[in-house]
Amino acid sequence: MAMAYAMDLSPPTFFLSPTSSSSSSPLRRLSSLPISTLHRHSNRKLQILCQSTAGTQPQSQSSNLSDANSKLSARSGQDRLLKVPISKVRNFSIIAHIDHGKSTLADKLLQVTGTVQNRDMKEQFLDNMDLERERGITIKLQAARMRYVYEDTPYCLNLIDTPGHVDFSYEVSRSLAACEGALLVVDASQGVEAQTLANVYLALENNLEIIPVVNKIDLPGAEPEQVLREIEEVIGLDCSKAILCSAKEGIGITEILNAIVERIPPPPETADKPFRALIFDSYYDPYRGVIVYFRVIDGKVKKGDRILFMASGKDYFADEIGVLSPNQIQVDELYAGEVGYISASIRSVADARVGDTITNFSRKAESSLPGYEEATPMVFCGLFPVDADQFPDLRDALEKLQLNDAALKFEPETSSAMGFGFRCGFLGLLHMEIVQERLEREYNLNLITTAPSVVYKVHTVNGDTTMCSNPSLLPQPGLRKSVEEPYVKIELLTPKDYIGALMELAQDRRGEFKEMKYIAENRASLLYELPLAEMVGDFFDQLKSRTKGYASMEYSVIGYRESDLIKLDILINAELVEPLSTIVHRDKAYSVGRALTQKLKELIPRQMFKVPIQACIGSKVIASEALSAIRKDVLAKCYGGDISRKKKLLKKQAAGKKRMKAIGRVDVPQEAFMAVLKLEKEVL
Amino acid sequence: MLRTTASPIFSSFTAKPRTSRLIFKAFSVLLEDTPPSARRNASTNLTTLHQGPPTSAYVHLPFCRKRCHYCDFPIIALGSSSASTTLHEEKRQEEEDDDPRITNYVNLLVREINATRTGFDANPNLKTVFFGGGTPSLVPPKLVSLVLETLSSSFGLCPDAEISMEMDPGTFGGEKLKELMELGVNRVSLGVQAFQDELLRACGRAHGVSEVYEAIEIVKSCGVGNWSMDLISSLPHQTLEMWEESLRLAIESQPSHVSVYDLQVEQGTKFGNVYTPGQSPLPSETQSAEFYKTASSMLRGAGYEHYEVSSYSKDGFKCKHNLIYWKNKPFYAFGLGSASYVGGLRFSRPRRLKEYTNYVADLENGAANWCGDGSVDLKDVATDIIMLSFRTSKGLELKEFGEAFGRRVVNSICKVYEPYVESGHIVCLDGMRREVVSDEFKKFLVGNDEVKIEDHVRYLRLRDPDGFLLSNELISLAFGVISP
Repeated sequence: MAMAYAMDLSPPTFFLSPTSSSSSSPLRRLSSLPISTLHRHSNRKLQILCQSTAGTQPQSQSSNLSDANSKLSARSGQDRLLKVPISKVRNFSIIAHIDHGKSTLADKLLQVTGTVQNRDMKEQFLDNMDLERERGITIKLQAARMRYVYEDTPYCLNLIDTPGHVDFSYEVSRSLAACEGALLVVDASQGVEAQTLANVYLALENNLEIIPVVNKIDLPGAEPEQVLREIEEVIGLDCSKAILCSAKEGIGITEILNAIVERIPPPPETADKPFRALIFDSYYDPYRGVIVYFRVIDGKVKKGDRILFMASGKDYFADEIGVLSPNQIQVDELYAGEVGYISASIRSVADARVGDTITNFSRKAESSLPGYEEATPMVFCGLFPVDADQFPDLRDALEKLQLNDAALKFEPETSSAMGFGFRCGFLGLLHMEIVQERLEREYNLNLITTAPSVVYKVHTVNGDTTMCSNPSLLPQPGLRKSVEEPYVKIELLTPKDYIGALMELAQDRRGEFKEMKYIAENRASLLYELPLAEMVGDFFDQLKSRTKGYASMEYSVIGYRESDLIKLDILINAELVEPLSTIVHRDKAYSVGRALTQKLKELIPRQMFKVPIQACIGSKVIASEALSAIRKDVLAKCYGGDISRKKKLLKKQAAGKKRMKAIGRVDVPQEAFMAVLKLEKEVL
Repeated sequence: MLRTTASPIFSSFTAKPRTSRLIFKAFSVLLEDTPPSARRNASTNLTTLHQGPPTSAYVHLPFCRKRCHYCDFPIIALGSSSASTTLHEEKRQEEEDDDPRITNYVNLLVREINATRTGFDANPNLKTVFFGGGTPSLVPPKLVSLVLETLSSSFGLCPDAEISMEMDPGTFGGEKLKELMELGVNRVSLGVQAFQDELLRACGRAHGVSEVYEAIEIVKSCGVGNWSMDLISSLPHQTLEMWEESLRLAIESQPSHVSVYDLQVEQGTKFGNVYTPGQSPLPSETQSAEFYKTASSMLRGAGYEHYEVSSYSKDGFKCKHNLIYWKNKPFYAFGLGSASYVGGLRFSRPRRLKEYTNYVADLENGAANWCGDGSVDLKDVATDIIMLSFRTSKGLELKEFGEAFGRRVVNSICKVYEPYVESGHIVCLDGMRREVVSDEFKKFLVGNDEVKIEDHVRYLRLRDPDGFLLSNELISLAFGVISP
């Protein structure tokens, strides 16, 4: 599987407990956005309300523009719907690490080309998050068509945004596949980060022309020369024609636009071929159905055409086609090389997934475009409502999210301890976190999440191979021949002071050292291979905390390997507690078992009898604690027959018992489950 | 559906007895498997027990020299000079006789009793009166007499009524006690608490061990045959040796009744601010359980019956007044912060003197109700009965309970208790009060409608001392059955 993963954001923790809240973290902000907007969260400032602006034609030129240059570009911006020959089209994207200035640069490009007028720009800078929520019908910038006049010739530049994130590298690769070139933006004071690397490699795989841009050269700490050396050494790009810029100060913007025209090749002339278009994004609009963003690769598409989605096999009539500039503007026709959107009353994004090929229903293309992949969930967890009454709400919310998120998988799950819930599959950890966050914040659900697990490949003695993502469904030891687990290749970029700390971390997580190299005098790259299961815990938190936030990482799944994995069971008073079962490596079973039993001892109230709490592998007890019996719980006082307070206490005690789950004869409070699940996330 | 609501038309007429207005529509609530008629025919049912006129009265006399460190009762501390008693006995006696706070309070109390117009069809005489406190023995006998006279004229007083009074060492002499006895007080509850000066000091008692011996001597010399001694276990710095000593000395002084209270550290008390239960200097939970077991075995060994969680008595000397509580029978209550149970309603009077004064005034002008407002919730009646019955050695009578609340509830309670019958915390008894062993008990639990468990197991009770020690846990399990 060629699915690559990279991480570029720094959530404070991957596993926030349901009650914890840190609204200021980038992840929180991010996770409140619909899934499809993840791709372009950093361009959030460019989001425009569709209702208010869609379809409006460019307004007459404002008279107070300052200089001739901006007048000229502004005028050309107004003409951006005019067709240009394919040889004058340039499709590009921007690759950058978070905070390296991608959105500022994109804003500047739109401004300088007059795509967005200065007056509108200010409005767009307003944070319209709340409004979006209320209306629920926003369009985010996913692509922007710009008109740029270079040496008296008008060019059409299409900026296609890429998802910024880890779990969505498939979507990144599809966005890149829709382009011929890319701007590689690196912060002049920060240097190359792991995620940048991952996306550059994806761009190179797609044969994109890459233009290195060193941004923020106006900052005091800027070291553009060293950053250029890093780009040359680490990525191997020729930096002799790299552009130094400051998007904030407007330095180097024209040079960038010129380089796009000069260096990025035009799309091939394939307008005569049968229609084929690559979907690089789609989102669900509650009023219009799914809106699909695509790049026409071959042929052309007209309004009203009957179109076929080749992977899903679904066909629709194109009710509306248009371009994104950056708001949706209707057009009649789009040709090979152009970028646009289709609205066709599509019911679910699963019918029009990223990577799918659109063709003409009556003049079908012979083959679909390469690179389509089914969404394969890599990380799983159980989601249970704290209040059992919320189960139907949870189901509804998941169904709604799925309309807009084809990668989200879920199926009902029943747990003796936690009642009814769902086992959900996610592309990765960020995806999981976002879905959990959205369920809790947007749908007001209070959830318990089990420790994330990966999908194990189990070979049974009778020769079958089954995939298993739920520890409680792992076949009995006697029926298992071997268990394989997914492995990832992980690249860590770190200042050299933290090499030791990171090696220790990777070693702890069963990492196999592959390579270390210095990418600059003071920075090193570490390459490890380790089990994905070791990454789904607090690995990223640890990485950040052990390097004071300086290290970055990227990972990609490299396949399955056999491991000595066992199922660790927890027994409370000799009763198996299924939701607490985990799959761990044999070497870690003892420490995990000890931690779990100790935590449970803290959390389970004492009972009227002694309660053993054990961690077991099969029938072998590997860790054991005991809850001593309550010796005395009596209100031996009664005055004046006033029993009201005493009764209140007893009622409270009875109500307390009701909130607990009975595991055999033992009452276990829900908090104990939650705390243990949290602990599992930490220790596994 | 579970509520029986007083008819709103009558709600402003305070003079009418509450009970006559309670309409029990919802008899069949807890019970679906028995026809309602069966229960209606039952003459005295657990659900109607509280409807009759009370024959008991609790009277709160809140005065104390000072507040003990564990005490959160509604009391009024008189703040009189401490310690040595005999020397100033007479002087103090005079002071107390004239203390306007006591006189005013008793006048108020008398007004409350007079303003209580019950309106029951029949007004049986009171069979028990309990003067609790505070320290009732601080109240001059002539004022006690006034209260008794008022009670007698309002409700009538049986000539053989049990009239108990709580008395603290150092607050009464032989003369005073004789006076009280002449007024009709025939049961003394002596607040000894401990036989160690250091412990008495540590809990802020206003007396020492020498006063304890004096008081015992006075009680005995006055010929009070029915007297009880209060002891408190699990006091700070208390050791098992001290506790055994207290128990031994208590037994040697031969009271007819002993009450053993396990210290409850209440919020807002001095102890509550300073100590954490189970942590030094309070005994650990294990030690504290040991104290309880020691009391049980020593007192039973000395011929006392452990008839309630914290009560022990010689044959024939159970506290009749307290038995009313345990049987969920109605009783009046008068005075600051006191709690009555009339017509199925529990009602607490204001705990502060000012509010209580206003309450009495309201009662007189008809603006307040003497027994509380609201409706009787059968679930509450059921939980009260469970809670109170399990405090006694008699336990819960299943047949009677089933007739009142439904056999299904009885079955559920039995099911919930099954593990604890097996572990020995709960004892099953048949109609002859012979123990039914755990295996037998399980056989009746098959859930077959034809097997009536109450025909085989008539009583459930908490085992002494293991079950009593965990009474909260066990009772709350049954509560869970009543309100799932």
